[in-house]
Amino acid sequence: MKTYSHHWVMEVAMKKFDLELAVGLFIVAGIVCLGYLSIKLGKLEIAGERGYEIYGVFSNVGGLKMGASVEIAGVTVGRVKSIKLDNYEAHVTLNLPTGLKIQEDAIASIKTRGLIGEKYIDITPGGSEKAIEPKGRIRETLPAIDVEELISKFVFGKI
Amino acid sequence: MRSTYFIPGAFSLFLVVAIAVPALAASPTDEIKQTTNKILSVVTNPALKAPSKSEEREKLMRQAVDERFDWEEMARRSLAIHWAKRTPKEKKQFVRLFADLVERTYLKKIEDYSGEKVLYEGEIKEGDYATVRVKIVTRRGEDIPVEYRLKQQGGWFIYDVSIEGVSLVNNYRIQFHSIISQSSYENLVKRLKEKVELK
Repeated sequence: MKTYSHHWVMEVAMKKFDLELAVGLFIVAGIVCLGYLSIKLGKLEIAGERGYEIYGVFSNVGGLKMGASVEIAGVTVGRVKSIKLDNYEAHVTLNLPTGLKIQEDAIASIKTRGLIGEKYIDITPGGSEKAIEPKGRIRETLPAIDVEELISKFVFGKI
Repeated sequence: MRSTYFIPGAFSLFLVVAIAVPALAASPTDEIKQTTNKILSVVTNPALKAPSKSEEREKLMRQAVDERFDWEEMARRSLAIHWAKRTPKEKKQFVRLFADLVERTYLKKIEDYSGEKVLYEGEIKEGDYATVRVKIVTRRGEDIPVEYRLKQQGGWFIYDVSIEGVSLVNNYRIQFHSIISQSSYENLVKRLKEKVELK
């Protein structure tokens, strides 16, 4: 039986250790990256909890999704927090930044990105001096417009 | 009558009147029906069909419309964030201009009335606010959904109309804002005056 010198065994053990060390470090690095990503993405959600909420009732939201943006003058100012069916209408809760006042007669409508893209909420500011309170309701809402339905309605009529 | 019956008797009478009076007040749908019928009766009146009568026709239709539309509320909502900066005189001028604009634009369309059916689909009342849903059935069989938004101020008055989900107030709000931010309020007034005079 060949005997292995003590020195050689130590070398092999060291190489194995280096390999394991490398693998271990790699895994740790992977976990750190994952953790960093989670926190970064998680921060987006946490930021959404700040500010205040108001809600609107829409007869048709046309596939609006939770997390969709709320825009004023084309600028994203908030997010759709939740959409629930309430008495067969859509009860949509919006999250808005604290400093942003929404007038009592502001109008919230459902718009589409480029006519056939994703849905979002657009708010046009009103002329009332009263602002909607947190947890209050935005009374003036307009439903999503079904473009296909509209086209077929008027095309059909023309025949 | 014996004196002991007098007070309870008077109180019961008061109760009956107090309950009956609100019940007699017109509902938002009734108010809309009334105005719509008034306008349609003018449009379909054979005695007013002649071109010589067109001014009288317009006057009568505008009267009917003025009874039901809260022009100041609509004008304020349409001018939106730019309303607060206006002087009382400017506000008054703007309300009149706005009423003229809307009347001229839409009365023209009503002139094309040719027997379309107006169906009243229902109303929702929430305190001082109400929504009346109407369906207009054209001769070609198309259903056009119209929604009136009303506010109660000693009677129900319209502050917005939506056709196919498109709001009149929102439509003007966006355009007015665009014109004012790209030029000025004075320019908007000038353009409105031009539009109103041309028609």
